[in-house]
Amino acid sequence: MNNRLLPFDTIGEKIALAVLAIFVVIFPLMNTLFPADSALHITTFQLSVWGKYLCYAVLAISLNFLWGYTGLLCLGQCLFFALGGYAFGMYLMLMIGDLGAYGTSLPDFMVFLGYSELPVHWKPFYNPWFAVFAAMWVPGLVAFVFGMLAFRSRIKGVYFSILTQALTYAAALLFFRNDFTFGGNNGFTDFKFIFGHDIREASVSRALFWASGFLLIGVYYLIAYLLKSKFGLVQRAIRDSENRVRFSGYSTTHYKVFIFVVSAMIAGLAGALYVPQAGIINPSEMWPTKGLDIVVWVAVGGRGSKFGPIIGAVLINLLKSYTTRVYPESWLIILGLVFLLVVLFMPNGVVGLWDQVKAWIQSRKADPPATVEPQLAVENES
Amino acid sequence: MFIGGKLLKLVALLVSVYICASSALHAADDQARQVLVDLVLAEDDAATQASLDKLGELGDEVIGQFVAAWRVGQVFVDEKNGGPVVLMQVGEGKYENLLTGASAAMSADAKIDRASRKLRKDLRRIVDLLDLKSPDYKKRIAAADKLGKTQNEEYLPELRELAAKQTDKKVKRAFDEAVAISELKNGNEDQLLSAVIELGELRSFGARDYIESVYQDAQQADEKNTSLIKSCETSLRLIDERQKMLDFASTLFRGLSTGSVLLLVAYGLAITFGQMGVINMAHGEFIAIGGYTVYLVQNFFIANYGVDSDVYGWYFAVSLPAAFIVSALAGALLEKGLIQFLYKRPLESLLATWAVSMVMQQAFRLKFGAANVSVSTPEWLSGSYDFFGVLMSYNRLSLIVFAILVVVVTRLLLSKTSWGLHVRATMQNRQMASSLGVPSARVNMLTFAFGSGLAGLAGAFLSQIGNVGPSMGQTYIVDSFMVVVVGGVGNLIGAAISSLGIGMIDQGLQPLLGPVMGKITVLFLIIIFLQFKPGGLFPARSRSLDD
Amino acid sequence: MKKVSSMLKVTLAAGASTMMAVGAMQAEEEKVKVGVLHSLSGTMAISETSLRDVLLFTFDEINSNGGVLGKQIEPVVVDGASDWPLFAEKAEQLLVQDKVAATFGCWTSVSRKSVLPVYEKYNGLLFYPVQYEGEEMSPNIFYTAEAVNQQAIPAVDFLLEEGYKKFYLIGTDYVYPQTTNLVLFEYLQSKGVPVENIGGGLRKDSAGAVISAGNYTPFGHSDFQQIVADIRKFASSGDACVINTINGDANVPFFKEFAASGLTSEDCPVVSFSLSEDEFRSLPSKDLVGHLGCWTYFMSIDSDANKKFIADFNAWLGKTNVPGIVKENRVTCSPMVLSYDGVYLWKAAVEKAGTFDPVKVMQALESGVSFDGPGGTVTSQSNHHLTKTVYIGETLENGQFSIIEEIKDVVGEPFLKGTFSK
Repeated sequence: MNNRLLPFDTIGEKIALAVLAIFVVIFPLMNTLFPADSALHITTFQLSVWGKYLCYAVLAISLNFLWGYTGLLCLGQCLFFALGGYAFGMYLMLMIGDLGAYGTSLPDFMVFLGYSELPVHWKPFYNPWFAVFAAMWVPGLVAFVFGMLAFRSRIKGVYFSILTQALTYAAALLFFRNDFTFGGNNGFTDFKFIFGHDIREASVSRALFWASGFLLIGVYYLIAYLLKSKFGLVQRAIRDSENRVRFSGYSTTHYKVFIFVVSAMIAGLAGALYVPQAGIINPSEMWPTKGLDIVVWVAVGGRGSKFGPIIGAVLINLLKSYTTRVYPESWLIILGLVFLLVVLFMPNGVVGLWDQVKAWIQSRKADPPATVEPQLAVENES
Repeated sequence: MFIGGKLLKLVALLVSVYICASSALHAADDQARQVLVDLVLAEDDAATQASLDKLGELGDEVIGQFVAAWRVGQVFVDEKNGGPVVLMQVGEGKYENLLTGASAAMSADAKIDRASRKLRKDLRRIVDLLDLKSPDYKKRIAAADKLGKTQNEEYLPELRELAAKQTDKKVKRAFDEAVAISELKNGNEDQLLSAVIELGELRSFGARDYIESVYQDAQQADEKNTSLIKSCETSLRLIDERQKMLDFASTLFRGLSTGSVLLLVAYGLAITFGQMGVINMAHGEFIAIGGYTVYLVQNFFIANYGVDSDVYGWYFAVSLPAAFIVSALAGALLEKGLIQFLYKRPLESLLATWAVSMVMQQAFRLKFGAANVSVSTPEWLSGSYDFFGVLMSYNRLSLIVFAILVVVVTRLLLSKTSWGLHVRATMQNRQMASSLGVPSARVNMLTFAFGSGLAGLAGAFLSQIGNVGPSMGQTYIVDSFMVVVVGGVGNLIGAAISSLGIGMIDQGLQPLLGPVMGKITVLFLIIIFLQFKPGGLFPARSRSLDD
Repeated sequence: MKKVSSMLKVTLAAGASTMMAVGAMQAEEEKVKVGVLHSLSGTMAISETSLRDVLLFTFDEINSNGGVLGKQIEPVVVDGASDWPLFAEKAEQLLVQDKVAATFGCWTSVSRKSVLPVYEKYNGLLFYPVQYEGEEMSPNIFYTAEAVNQQAIPAVDFLLEEGYKKFYLIGTDYVYPQTTNLVLFEYLQSKGVPVENIGGGLRKDSAGAVISAGNYTPFGHSDFQQIVADIRKFASSGDACVINTINGDANVPFFKEFAASGLTSEDCPVVSFSLSEDEFRSLPSKDLVGHLGCWTYFMSIDSDANKKFIADFNAWLGKTNVPGIVKENRVTCSPMVLSYDGVYLWKAAVEKAGTFDPVKVMQALESGVSFDGPGGTVTSQSNHHLTKTVYIGETLENGQFSIIEEIKDVVGEPFLKGTFSK
């Protein structure tokens, strides 16, 4: 066994991680160190956009943990992300104070819906740490209850996917309701202060970027660590053949619930950091199509690989940001075709491309052409 | 109010004159036409009023016909050929000269003439009074209903007199109801009491509010009229009981119809997903293809035959097979070009078809525009059938019939044809079937095309009750998957039963919880249901552990 | 090794973004950039694409007449994709990278709420053209939209005058319908309509205050059987009407169901606030004659300015080569004209201020500038809304509205809630 505290597979991985860490540290510094007219200057806008990408990357990792390593395709990962966002958003809403349109201490939407005082479940959210904590345990709790129900009755495969989709759909409908006390369709916007600072300050953008970046690295490390442990072995064994694991005396249900809860908590944290950078959270973040988006990120990057989801999330969102500006009419077609190409020709995603090319070169050298196919068949049993 | 007062006076005049002149009614045709022409061409309020006054004296068929045509923009003024000529549209592309009643051609310069809202309201009253004596019993019923609810005592003697003359049970009932509702306000104490009792016995829904206000007044009165209060309570209870029964029956019908919609949209998916294991996220876009096909066929008919032709009404009948064929072809194309490479990777089929769905949606937008397109309802599908008070619209009825047809035909195809045998064999074990000589590639393609074709048919029907637009399919995709999963993947009858069940529960919950909470509750119920039956209603049986 | 390629990707991506920033800095001299921020994909594309079209037309029209302050307008079109965080991102991109002088955009309230802090942060200028619930007045947004008192209140006044006694409230479950209906609930009561004659249901909070009035459906609702049955019941006693704030294309299944149930505008007219000529195109208009609409513009307005606008717009559609533009059977509607008015008001304000500086332009707007638009003269107010003419129209069999009442110079008033209950 390798050094337990350095659970990395290859030199390449270590280098990539180091580059990521350097990027996370340096990028915000380029915002302050270089003057605005310098070619190396990074605007706060770019900072917040990239900060959002990092949150997406964390979200993608959380799904990959579930799907790539455990074989549980969750189409409702967006729900946990949004729940985390809502939890932290509640704190941000309360921090607006009396700067809203009505000048009262209540959030605006409550005033015009006729509330005279803050509902009880909102009160603890004056404390930011409670909000951060809630961004983890609320998604965790939902995942625990749902996971207990689903895994105990041995719901798996496509059934699990579609049920998670139903769950997020129902939750979105619930949050769309105005009398659910979460702002209905408008959700939460127009945040003013975070930890006592004006949210519009560049220093806040930098801090949020760093927080997102370190969360990403931390989550990466956590998952790499788990994968190296015995736990990770069981996890992958469940993916490949759950029944054999069960017959070997492991309670796969408990494993799966645990993984589901951890994954939901990670997604929730990503959501909590995402909301102050995006400036809005509303129920359309829970809409089933958002859940599918995340699946696409992971698939394009390469599921079942540690760096794949990060690359997929960043790449696709970068592409989306770019094409919605340059090809506003046809960007969906471009993006759709890219997905199609990846699904058809890069079954292991962008990170698998290198191996694919290597295999192809080898197959041209070797006499009986070896294919990538058998390896795929095993991975896709679920 | 000024207008109201004037109208009342006018109507009072009308009623008296009308009754006196009723014997001379049908002789007045020419005169009526003249007055109508004057009315259309009237240049100021005084002239309009004068024509209106005259019109009341003349109870003639043509007045009702004219007012109906005026309302929907079928009256034209043609300034050509000397003086202005008033034309009325009497059929698809046919016009008559209002003055003479002779059919006439319309020149290109003719302009639509419109009545003001107030004028139409005045006319409406006149027509209602005329309709009381119309030979068409439906008109008599509608007129009595409206005049009764005005609670205007001017009409009461007329209504009473005519009520006695009605022979048909339905019509008699409407007149009695009208008289009673009017008496609630205008009758003396005895009449009031008997009206309340009568309306209760008639279970008149329309009268409920009126009885309620009588009840309120009676309770607040200084002198309590206990018998009135009692009979009000009885009548209200009787009406509410009938209302409840009717609500229940209507809910059943609505559940059936919602279930049929779900069945239609989900059945194609039950085949592609349930039978073939392809998670087709582009299913909704095949529904949209069906909808757009109807639109294109409709436009073809408009371009070649015109909206007014007799053939036009049949465009929908033609578009049903067209929608099936076009969607099936698109499905075959998708299977050949994409799906066939992904049979070993079901979850990847989800991703690939999701991408296809994105591309198709945007392609629809670029081709047909982002806005929804207009699809009209053919004459033979509009309107509704009153089944003992439960209103069933024809398009909903046809939807139910069609859903049943789809289930039956699919069942027959799968169980009675050799293709069906091949399909079942291939679905059970693709490799085994193929090694036994089943042309599995072809079977796959045909099956997928069939499922897509069904989605197209669903889209064609949805065009009659909803939107046709780029994202019309998205509305149904989650629901479709629910139906299939609840029914048991791979079981077509299960899908049929689950769609009916979900439809019924949805419609049953709606009156209690409202549409939003109703829908949420249904979703949670489905999640909970699957805890107990993880394989759906009819789980696929298999000896394999890892299925 | 395997991971080296991934590392490369990260660096490449980072580089790409820096390059994007550099490219954007080279602003052109003789041109002035303005942003167009609408959803061209996703659920809201149905409504918003038309606004993109009319904006591009307006810019071309102004450019061919010499531009603004001698500069040609260069539109920057971005797709908000019906994705609200993306709206905020795109707004920031327009302001920071493209440095647009003004933005014309947004349809839904949530998209406006999403970009509002961005415009306030960078002191930008946004023109918002779609009828909305009010209760907002950002220093950086100019609302050419109809406020509730320029739509719902006049319509209800009209219905009361016509003698309707019962009002059924129905809408899509989001902020605009909820707020409008709460305002109307207060207003109807202030006009002496008893609570039991206001249909659709009420919800109260624990203290007994009404927090929601009316019957609500989810977005994209397609099954209106139950609601139409409820309306039939409600209308069976006569003198009833429906006040409809269903959003955009969900009106289609509603009206199809309404027509199929045999209800007509004679029994129970529906007055709709989110149903313009554009949405009406996809409805069976023959069955819907006599229902009502209330906007500050109808395509059927008989004025030279309007005829010219329609003719020019159609001529432009014939020439343009923007992908995805539908050229046949186009109609014009209030949000389109308010977008058009917005551009001209911006032009007038820029010329009055003599600069493109958003702050000065907004000051010019606050001081009051006028424009004779297709819907009549509009004048900007200090509260960032418009004084304009309100029209009440009745639907015709050809999908148009015939105007039955015209109320001139209605002042836009965003804060209405609570003003009628005292």
